[in-house]
Parts: sequence; structure tokens; C-alpha cells
Amino acid sequence: MADTYEFSKEELEQIEKIKSKYPEVQSAVMPVLWLAQDKFGHVDSDVQKLVADTLGLPRAHVHGVATFYTQYYKEKMGKYVLDVCGSFSCQVCGAQEIIRHLEEKLGIKEGETTEDGMFSIREVECLGACGYAPMLQVTNDKYVNHLTKEKIDKLIEDLKAGKEPEFESMPVVYHQTSDS
Amino acid sequence: MPEIIIDNVRYEYEQPGKVLQFMLDQGLDLPYFCYHPSMSIPANCRQCLVKAGTPIVDRETGKPELDEDGNPKIRYFPKFMTACSLDMSDGMVVHTHVTSEEVRRAQADNLELILINHPLDCPICDQAGECPLQILTYKYGPEGSRFEHKKVHKPKRIQLGPRVVLDAERCINCTRCTRFTEEISKSNQLTIVARGDKNYPMTAPGETFDDPYSLNTVDICPVGALTSADFRFKARVWEMAQTPSIDITNGKGCNVDLWTRDNLVLRITPRYNKEINDHWMPDEGRMAYRQMNENRVSKPEIKLSASEHSKTSWNNALMTFVEQIEAHKPEEILVIGSPHAPVEDNFLLQQFFNKLGVSDTLFSPHITPGKGDDFLITDDEAPNTNGCRMLGLGEIDKKKLEAELKSDKYKMVVILTDDLFGRYEIEPSITEGKFTLTFATNYNATTKAADLIIPVTCSAEHTGSYVSVDGRIQRTLPAKETLYSNRRLNLEMSLSRLDHFGTKFDNWVSDRNRIDCIPAWEFLVRTAYEMNLKLGFESSREIMAKISDELPALNGVTYERMDEERGIQLDLKQIPAENVS
Amino acid sequence: MAQDWKSFKPVLIPNIPDLAKIDVYEKNGGYSAIKKILTDDKWDSQAVISEVKEANIRGRGGAGFNAGMKWSFMPEPDGGPRYLAANGDESEPGTFKDRKIFEFNPHLFIEGCLIAAYAMKIDAVYVYIRGEYREFINMMDKAIEDAYKKGYLGKNILKSDFSVDMYTHSGAGAYICGEETSLMESLEGKRGYPRVKPPFPAQKGLWGRPTTINNIETLANVPHVINNGASWYKSIGPENHPGPVLYGISGHVNKPGVYEFPAGMKITDLIHEVCGGVRGNKGIKAIIPGGASTPPIRGDVIDGVTMDADGLREVGTLMGTAGMLVLDEDTDIVDVITRISHFFDHESCGQCTPCRDGTGWLYKLMSKINNGEGEMRDLDLLIDVCNKMEGRTICALADAACWPVRNAVERFREDFEAKCKKTVYAVA
Repeated sequence: MADTYEFSKEELEQIEKIKSKYPEVQSAVMPVLWLAQDKFGHVDSDVQKLVADTLGLPRAHVHGVATFYTQYYKEKMGKYVLDVCGSFSCQVCGAQEIIRHLEEKLGIKEGETTEDGMFSIREVECLGACGYAPMLQVTNDKYVNHLTKEKIDKLIEDLKAGKEPEFESMPVVYHQTSDS
Repeated sequence: MPEIIIDNVRYEYEQPGKVLQFMLDQGLDLPYFCYHPSMSIPANCRQCLVKAGTPIVDRETGKPELDEDGNPKIRYFPKFMTACSLDMSDGMVVHTHVTSEEVRRAQADNLELILINHPLDCPICDQAGECPLQILTYKYGPEGSRFEHKKVHKPKRIQLGPRVVLDAERCINCTRCTRFTEEISKSNQLTIVARGDKNYPMTAPGETFDDPYSLNTVDICPVGALTSADFRFKARVWEMAQTPSIDITNGKGCNVDLWTRDNLVLRITPRYNKEINDHWMPDEGRMAYRQMNENRVSKPEIKLSASEHSKTSWNNALMTFVEQIEAHKPEEILVIGSPHAPVEDNFLLQQFFNKLGVSDTLFSPHITPGKGDDFLITDDEAPNTNGCRMLGLGEIDKKKLEAELKSDKYKMVVILTDDLFGRYEIEPSITEGKFTLTFATNYNATTKAADLIIPVTCSAEHTGSYVSVDGRIQRTLPAKETLYSNRRLNLEMSLSRLDHFGTKFDNWVSDRNRIDCIPAWEFLVRTAYEMNLKLGFESSREIMAKISDELPALNGVTYERMDEERGIQLDLKQIPAENVS
Repeated sequence: MAQDWKSFKPVLIPNIPDLAKIDVYEKNGGYSAIKKILTDDKWDSQAVISEVKEANIRGRGGAGFNAGMKWSFMPEPDGGPRYLAANGDESEPGTFKDRKIFEFNPHLFIEGCLIAAYAMKIDAVYVYIRGEYREFINMMDKAIEDAYKKGYLGKNILKSDFSVDMYTHSGAGAYICGEETSLMESLEGKRGYPRVKPPFPAQKGLWGRPTTINNIETLANVPHVINNGASWYKSIGPENHPGPVLYGISGHVNKPGVYEFPAGMKITDLIHEVCGGVRGNKGIKAIIPGGASTPPIRGDVIDGVTMDADGLREVGTLMGTAGMLVLDEDTDIVDVITRISHFFDHESCGQCTPCRDGTGWLYKLMSKINNGEGEMRDLDLLIDVCNKMEGRTICALADAACWPVRNAVERFREDFEAKCKKTVYAVA
């Protein structure tokens, strides 16, 4: 049986608030897809339908938007989606070794999800952390920078224990002489 | 007047507009895929690139700067422009492939890119023969491809809806179909999904593309990505003859083309008419091809018993009709015209029985309130309700019709092509004891009830005029032969390659598909001759000439004008309003 | 250069702890520029635009267009709404600077937006931030909330008759949404397809209304221009490309990161002095100076080259976002370019033919060569495919996809040839 999805009263109020930010309701598609994904963990076709019907928009329209943007999960993913940046700064700092290490560790290939539904690995495009390469993002949220094999091992252990990484502030670097 | 110079030729223009549309209006050629005159301009196929520039204007004098030869100096846009989205401006200079080698190369380049992920399966593609991609590639494309990699694979044979099938690999992402559902039919059922070279049009998951106008997307698809589930693999386009006609399934009078092969109508597509249907038509009208081919009455039939009819000769049918008329007084004959039959047939029916002394010819409109929309589907399910009204036929509803059919007043009933018994669910027993004659194209409840069935031509076989709900009179042309018509003799009939070169002895031509029927008016003229009534007409054209003489509302209406003006708008005030008694 | 970079004091992200907090920002002179404008009659909207135009803030999003000039394109108000979209999509590989403003100095950016809104008579500002920056979006939301509380946003700002609203809008993973018309489509809740221009955003932008789109860093420069004047601003860095710049440096350097210095820094200074040199003291193979779309240059041409429009043009590349990638001598440049091609193939929206199919073709060709299966003729084909794509599309993504490939094939020809099969054709 297909899961049934619905928004709570609070969420519907939140959606009204989102709608009020824009002159047209269509603009609420992306924020409401985000809201739905945060709640349900994905925006599969049923969730897309819920979003469309809640906003009173054509379902095809919401489907088109959901499939255009890569951060929306169009199917169920692992609890922790490990998006490893593969773009050039990370590439030249060893992103592929990080992915290989993750693959070995989790016993799955890039693009796959572990059988227990805990982890998915994806190679993604630049995440805007080029100075802290190689890096990955956990389920569209926290960045884990300066990855090493040891750091990966620790991350996986932590995640398995339900301990999610914390936000890591990467300061602007001030040149010594300029501050002196 | 402002002017634009295209390939060194000067053209004056009155209305501001886009370069591509202006060129098309001038009969000039420029390749394009995504542009459609009735929809928004996304300029995404990039096929209509031209080199364009505007005169350099001196800031001080406000006049164009001139070169040594006295010609205005031109500042060209730094990049090629898409003609579809480029606004014309006074003095603009445009170079197409005709005068620019660079543009010619750009067009070939673009085609090479379009084709790298296109399957090139023309031999099994329905679109082949009428495919803009195929045609433009032959005309403007490169000789071959240098793409030596695996093409992108996408879903194939996807039944998008009951009537439309998708092959996403053939899609070139022109977005005509999605724009159609957004801007024209407004069903919003289609979207482009995914991104980059993996994208293609699709419905939302679990949704079906059941838009009542869905098949228009098949027409405007510039490749074979969207095909008609019904017409798929039925025929090659070059085997068919294309005949202009009108949609007879509702009152709008959408202009259509009938596509025939071996005297079968295989598909119906819309024909452009700005005043009525633009480039579009409802899906329902396209299915009318089946009633033109199937379940046809061929050769007159006479009733043997309540459940049985027998074929009979035309001569016998005619003599039976004459006998029955002579056996009854005029006031004993109930004559019912038809909103499904053309003006000419209704007129002749009225005239014929007038001459016999029958004072009234009635008809019952075929209107289903709520069926229509505010686009091309009308409540009126018949093509000629207004034609009947103009002729002054008495308008009756179901109740009145039943009362008349039941009435002892009448001993004989004549029904022109209209399945009254079927659409009103009238019991056949209602006319018991009366002699009932019906003109009919197809078998139906009314033919079942009739004592004599006269098979008549349908809109695909005759020339007939119909007056739309909006008061526009238009005519049909014969598209398929009957036993008594001949493509090579009737100059109004169109010929296909098959018609041209095939002979009766070819195994792909058969007489089976020619129906033994004649136009209703012709049967009435023959009967009149037999009865010495003065009602001599040789063609429906002559009948129309007579009608336009007699009816002030139709003064000046001729077939020639209807053809040239794509139908004639009549004064709606001269058409009696609905007056169901 | 008017000022020695070593004595330059950062202004976009000064070294002040907790500057992201609104009261700290205020204590350090924050929101003084907008106060000045709202209280001094001298600063009508025309005067603000003129000053910003005079300062010649060149757009920090990549195109480098004079921001004040862009503002001046807005038509006269007609009573309907007008919008400012702040572009924080920041998705070009090598670029990670705007996030620093969100995290460390969001109020400077908000103040810049206020000034822009005042100058262009804007009704609402939408801050479009890439969806991956969830943390930074939260930070920005917090800053906006604080600014509302203090009366810097909303109705009758600082008791004047000037009102403006500000909202964040999260992207969801699409590089193309950094293109300004695509960003507008995305804000309108659609697939991020760039729009055909004309009409330009100033005529017909968000929801069909006049709209200006500026990069985050560009807007963050504005308060300083109002506070210190255009001539002060122009005294920083080269005349033709003035002001402070957030350099994001990544790759094979010892201390990668974001640094604020005047525009026009020497590439060698950035690498050796600022970033502590190349890792392992290796030589430099190549520099990609401003993000994935800017043409790579050889390590042996960078001596004396400055990071500004003119300096980089001389060596055949572009400033872009000043997100510089440094590649050491052991780098497989073909591999790097292949990955760049993968990026553009992945990020092409798929609207225009040349880009949709061309980026895929480029990537497939690059992969073939990178895997050692290419032939010499494939190098010519690469250039030819670029010729077919460049300048033929609605937006510049196709161009951006071609430049690295075309220039790498030309500038690192020997690396490409080394990976190609040496096919010998028999001569008849």
C-alpha cells in the first residue's frame, strides 16, 4: 500500500506564511517542497501530489520543478545522504579516494543506498566549500570539511550512533601582516 | 513606412512584429522547430539563427550614418539572433543562409547537435514524411554526424494518455506540447522533467494526459516524439490524400483535413482557420473518421420484419418511395430535416415536400447543455443547427417529436440523416402502422425502425455546406469515393501518390471501401424526376446558387467565396434564434 | 596600485568578533549609511545611484558590470511593485565567498540592500541562496529578523516614509539559477530556464515587474561607498576594477580559504604570500582564476599578472568570481577539464539545443580522451564542437562550458596529445 501523506495544521499555517512572502502562489512551490522533504524525508510522487494539491497548482508543474532541482529526493533515500563534492577543487584534493573509501566502508556504490536504509552515497557538484576540500554534506544539511579516511570513519560511527555533525564555522583567513 | 532588408531585398512592413513571422508571411524560408505562431516564443531550438544588424544612428543629427557609397552603416549584433524572437526595426538588415555562409553553417551545426541524441529511426517513425526535423535536415543539415558515442537513452512507448504515445528519445525539447497545455488548452497536464540532455515531456506521476485537446500536441510535435495512439503505424503520410473539410461532430465548424488512403479516412487533423479554430481541434472530432468508414449503410434496404432488413435495388427503393408518397395525402406526411445534414440536403427536402403540398419541414436540434467549453467544444453536437434555422425549418424538442411521431395525423414519416431514435431513446414501436423512411449514413436505432433506408453520402463523400453556431457557413469536399464517384473525374477530389499511380489491378487498391450511396439531394432529385416535379439540380453547387438567390441571409454566398474566404461569416441576426416549441 | 595590499584593512569582513550580531554591527558604525541617506536631503535616489555608478563597483558575480549603471536601467516608477533579487546562488566550482558574508557580516549586506532599495524604489528584496547553504540561510533569516525588530526593514524604516521587505529564498541544487533570469524563474516557482532577453529584467523581471539582480558581495560593497565616497572606493585597487575583493583560493596551496584584499592582487602574491605557497613546494601547472567557467592559464604565464579585468584579459582569461583554483605541476589537467565538462553537462538546464546536446558531447569527448581512448582528431573535434555552441544560446552557460575546454586544448596541448592514441593512417 502506498504511504499517505498529509500536512499538519501547524505546517499548513507555515505554508500560508510562505505564500504571503510572494505575490503569486506558484513561488511557494520550492519552499513547500523543502518543507515536505524535511518532514517526509523525500518528495516522491505522492508527496509532490500533496504539495500541488495543497497549493492548488497543477501536479505536472510541481513534478517539473521537483525533477529540475537535484536536492529534492524524488525517491526514498538513506537516512543519511552523504553528498561528496566531486567538482574540481575537491577532485584535485582527493574526492575520488574519499568516495572509494566510503564505498568500501558501506559496501555500496556511489548512487546507492545501504540495505538497512541508513546511508546513501552520491557524488555531487560543487557545494561551495572549495577551500576546505575534500568535503561532503550530510542530507542537505551540515558540511563536513577537510575529509580524511579517519574523519570519514569517525563520521560513519557517529552517524550510526545517531550523532549528527555540528556546524563547523570556517573563518575568513586574515593575513598576518594585515592585522599587525 | 518602415522597412527591413532581408538577404539584400527591401520589404516594407506595417505592423511591428518578429522577423521570423514576417519572413514566413512573405513566403521566405527559414528553418525552425520551437516557434509556433499561436504560442509564446521560448527561442530554445536555436534553429532560426540569423545575422542581424541595425543602422548606426548619428547621435547629433539623429540620422543614420552613411558609408562611402551612401548606404547606411550597419552595426551587427555581436551574436547571431533567433529570428523568432527578434523584433523588426526600421532599417534592420537580416542575413539568412541565403546570403551568409556563416549562418548557413550555424544552421547545419545546430542540426548536427539536435541529431546527436535523436534515434534516427525514421524508417519506423510515424512522423517520417511530414517531420520538420527530417525535412530541415535534408535541406539544411550536415552530411553526416561525427558523434561516435552512446546516445542518451530515455523512455519509449509511454502511453501518456488514452490518445497520445510518447517516445522521449525522439524529443528535441522544443516545449511546444507543454506550452500547448499551459497556454492553449490550459489543462497544464504536461511538463518537462529532469534536466539537460536527459529531459523530456511528461505528465505528473500517475496522471493521465486526457486533455480533450491532447492530440493537438501530436500535430505540433516537430518530431515523432508524440504520436497518436490511434493512428500509430496505420499509414505512411505520403500514401494518403489530404482533403480540406470541416469537423462535423459539433457546432463549431473546426476546419480539418481528412486523410484518406484507398477510400478509407485514416485520420483527421485540424486545418488552420484564424476565425474559428486557429491551428487546433478537439480530440473528439478526430474520431469521426470511424463513422466515415465503419458501420456504413451501403445499398438501399427495405424492412422485412421487426428485426430484419433486406438490401434492395435503387430502382426498387425509388419506386417504393414514390408509391408511398402517392398513397398518402400531404398532411399525412411528417417530414423531419437534420442538423447533421448539410444546408443543401435540408433545402431540397423542404422544397421537395413543399411541391407535394407538405407545409412544414421540422428538425430537432442535437444540443447537450453543459457539454461544451469556452474553446472549441460546443453544447451543440451537430454541425448545421443554424443552417436548419436559416431555412426556416420548424424546431422541435424530444417531447414534441415523440408527440408528432405518435400522432395519428401522420401515416408516413421521412427522416433526413439523423439518429433521432438513438439519441432520444425512442422505442421503434412509436411509428407502428406508419411508413418510415430514413436517409442514413450509418446503421443506428433509426435505421432499425425504418421501413426503407436510403444510404446517403457522409461529409467525407459529398460537397455540403454547414452553418456553425457562430453563423459561419463553410463547405466540405469529397475525400473518399462512393461507388458512383471517381477521383479522376471529380476535380474537387484530391489525389495521393497511391491514387495517381495505383490501378484497380493493384492489390493495395480495393473497391470494398467504396460505399453504395448517393447524396440525399440526388435521391430527391431523381424521385422528383420520376414524379414530374420540377426540381432539377445537377450538383450541390447549383443548389447553393438557388438557395443564395432565395434566402436573403445567404445572398452572395457561393462555393468559390467559401473556399477563398475560408468560410463566410453570416449575419447572426438573420438566423432565427432558438425557438423550441 | 594605489594602496599596498599588505596594509589593507578588510572592510567587507573586518576582523571584528561577533560582527554578525546586529548590536555589534551597529556599534561598529553599522547602518550609518542608510541613516545618512534617510536623514540627509542631499541623498535622493538619483544621488545614490550616481555615487554608486561613480564608484564603479564591478559586479562580483562574474560578469563584472558596473552596479550603479545596472541600477540606472530601472524605469521610472509606475505605481506597481519593483524588486531587487540578491544573487547568493554561488554554485560555480571554486567559489565560496558569499557564504562568508552570510556568516560573518550579514548586516553589511542587508544595509547594502536597503541602499539599493532606496535608490531604485524597490518594494521587496528576495535573497536567493543556494539550497546547500542551509546553515547560511538560517543565519541570514536570523539577521533579517533582527533587522526587522530594530526597524531597519519593513514599513517606515527609521520612521521615514521608506519601506521595504526582505525575504530569503532557498534554491535546491541547480547551478543555472545563478544566471539572473533563471534565478527569477526559480523565484517564481518554475524550472530554472533562463529567459530570452529582451525584455531585460529592469523592464520585465520578477512577476513581470522591473527587477534588478545583484550579487551578494556587490551589495555588501555599497554601504562603504556611501559612507566613504566613491573616490575613496576607487582608491582601492586598480582604477578600472576598484574595491575590495573576497578571493576564494582553493586547490594545491598550503592555506586555502577566503581572503579579503584589494582587487588587482598579483596572482603570485596570493599564492605565495597569502596562501603560504604551493603544497610541497611544487611548481604551478595551471591557474583557473575565477571559477570553472574562466579559461585556465598556464603556471608559466602568471608572473606579474593581476587579479582584475584588465590584468587577466592580457593572459586570456577572466576575473569571474575571483574563486581561484591553483593546480600544482603534478596535476592531470585533462582530468580536471573532464570534470569541469561533467559539471556543465550536469548543470545545463536543457533548454537550448547547442548547450543541451553540446555539453554532453563535450563531456563524452573529454572522457574518451581522458580514458586514453581519444585520437588526435578528437582534439580538433572538441574545438569544433565549441565553435558550434559558443554564442548560440539564450544564456552564457554554453560559453562557460566551452571556454575551459577550448583554452585547455590550446594551452595544454601536449597534455592532451599525450593522452591520445597515436593513430597512424595508411597512406594510399
